[in-house]
Amino acid sequence: MRAALARLIDWPFEALQRALGAARMPYVFVLPNLLVFGIFVVLPMLLNIWYATTSGAELMPGQRPFTGLANFAELLDCGNYLNVASCRQDRFWRSVDNTLWFVAFQVITMVVLSLITALVLNRKMALRGFFRAVFFYPVLLSPVVVALIWKWILQPDGVLNAILVANGGQRVPFLLDPSWSFFWTVVVSVWAHMGFYVLILLAGLQAIPPDLYEAAAMDGTPQWRVFWRITLPLLMPNMAVVLVLGLIRAVQAFDEIYVLTGGGPGTATQYIVQYIYETAFAGQVHIMGLAAAASMLVGGVLLVLTLLQLLASARAKQ
Amino acid sequence: MARLALRGIVRDYGTLRVIHGIDLDVAEGEFVVFVGPSGCGKSTLLRMIAGLDKPTGGDIEIDGIRVNDRSAAERGLAMVFQSYALYPHMTVRQNLAFGLENQRMPRAEIDRRIADAARMLQIEHLLARKPGQLSGGQRQRVAIGRTVTREPGIFLFDEPLSNLDAELRVQMRVELSQLHKRLRATMIYVTHDQTEAMTMADRIVVLRAGRLEQAGSPLALYNHPANRFVAGFIGSPRMNFLPATVSPNGVRVDGLDELALERFAVAQGAAVSLGVRPEHFEFVDAGGLPGTVDLVEHMGGESYVYVTLANGERITVRRPGQTGLVGGSNVRAAVLQGQAHLFHTSEGEAAVARL
Repeated sequence: MRAALARLIDWPFEALQRALGAARMPYVFVLPNLLVFGIFVVLPMLLNIWYATTSGAELMPGQRPFTGLANFAELLDCGNYLNVASCRQDRFWRSVDNTLWFVAFQVITMVVLSLITALVLNRKMALRGFFRAVFFYPVLLSPVVVALIWKWILQPDGVLNAILVANGGQRVPFLLDPSWSFFWTVVVSVWAHMGFYVLILLAGLQAIPPDLYEAAAMDGTPQWRVFWRITLPLLMPNMAVVLVLGLIRAVQAFDEIYVLTGGGPGTATQYIVQYIYETAFAGQVHIMGLAAAASMLVGGVLLVLTLLQLLASARAKQ
Repeated sequence: MARLALRGIVRDYGTLRVIHGIDLDVAEGEFVVFVGPSGCGKSTLLRMIAGLDKPTGGDIEIDGIRVNDRSAAERGLAMVFQSYALYPHMTVRQNLAFGLENQRMPRAEIDRRIADAARMLQIEHLLARKPGQLSGGQRQRVAIGRTVTREPGIFLFDEPLSNLDAELRVQMRVELSQLHKRLRATMIYVTHDQTEAMTMADRIVVLRAGRLEQAGSPLALYNHPANRFVAGFIGSPRMNFLPATVSPNGVRVDGLDELALERFAVAQGAAVSLGVRPEHFEFVDAGGLPGTVDLVEHMGGESYVYVTLANGERITVRRPGQTGLVGGSNVRAAVLQGQAHLFHTSEGEAAVARL
């Protein structure tokens, strides 16, 4: 039965091999993947470069006039880089500014919280498996679901305000106040992604031989010194991976925040990816050129971070 | 230097008892080796002495003071781990200093102790390296160095040589013995290798399934094993055991003729186990136990002759020098006068008599 089935599948490959020779057969097997990769990754990248170096509102690539680096020049045209209002594309620079603050707060909070959580989950405790699952669970949720859950909690007549009012407090416009809004994008983003980083750190903690801790105990090492001198240095490769991956993901932050705040109030929580999306697709005029140029700039930053990440994981392997 | 006493040490894991009440005194400066097959509880016992594990019952005393509730560090012990457990991100010098820094020892004293230990163990040229850049033997020295700098009351060793190759193991064995002589320190050493136990110990403690089978000097255990287990465990190649029955003038090895042995206090007809070490057989022309040579291993200085007896039992015979015997030769193996051991086949297989 199986032999018959194999013969059925075999004949086209045998025919191909007779036609091409055995040496070319590997390319036949790689071809389907190359096609998918080419159409969905390489081609869009090339298109993006074309859009970034052309202008106008036309959608069809052939109808767009070539303008060289004009889009980049427009994006980078600023009277004073410290004053967003002096820039020609102030929305771009405002979103860059927002993104930098977001990345700083989100990444630091997340690395610290992930580390603490991993340390706690690495201890012998009741229901450890359950808690490990609990912290990982948000990672499995769709970003839209994450945002809707938190919206339900944070909106003016949401759960959190209900609790505040029930305890004699005042309603807080969590998503209508710029500072609160920023704060909650950080919280929600950390909550949604932390589990993944906890997992990486937990793996690192478990890779530290227990003998070292016993040797430290025999050496009479105080707990804080064990942490600073043994645990943290040996966890450093994993910490580096977490830091760089976290940075990359923070720069890319879009979906859950877009659903949660829509970038508002005003542009208080509009980050760079949202700027690109809205410039290209959401406005009355679709300014593809600027959006494509902005995404190339972001791509450049991410490329540097990715190289750092590769470096970090190469060191982790050592 | 410190002395150690174990009083009725018991260790349970849930409902499983792994250590069944161990009593032992270790004198100041003594080198005691815990030996036994894997799972006998020797490492568990060492970890309880170290303070890395807690006994379920009984007392551990160091210099007469009960230390059950003291932490590992407060007991003033130092331990060499099987894996060495060196801190991989620290240099050798930092590894040696780490425990001393915990005690807030003055820098000058730390440096002096490291210099002394490094000189003694010949690792001075390695101080700036990290453990990953060292060979197995060098790591071993550093691990020992880390305990030496602590100047502990008792040194603990948990199978420290098991990750080394055979040649290095022999060398380190000698060095550890010399270290013991030089420091005159109390040392407790765990191993499953009876050769290490025999060569290094002042006193060997044989453990089996969480029970102390026998404690004594290496030769006392070799010459007067308390039971069949100790007899079989100590000595290499191991002792030969032949099923036998007590007869009027000695013992009758099952299926073979009677071996004339002096009288001993066991009822006639009782089933016993006749234990004979490989070097206590000799080949004779008449009498003895008939058999056929399977194989001869020539060591040069001595020869191991593997023989299948006429009753199907196999024995190993060690003969000094070189022998002309080859596979298929017919031989008769006799027991040297006064060198046979008799063991009960029940009652914990205790020794009955040495004949």
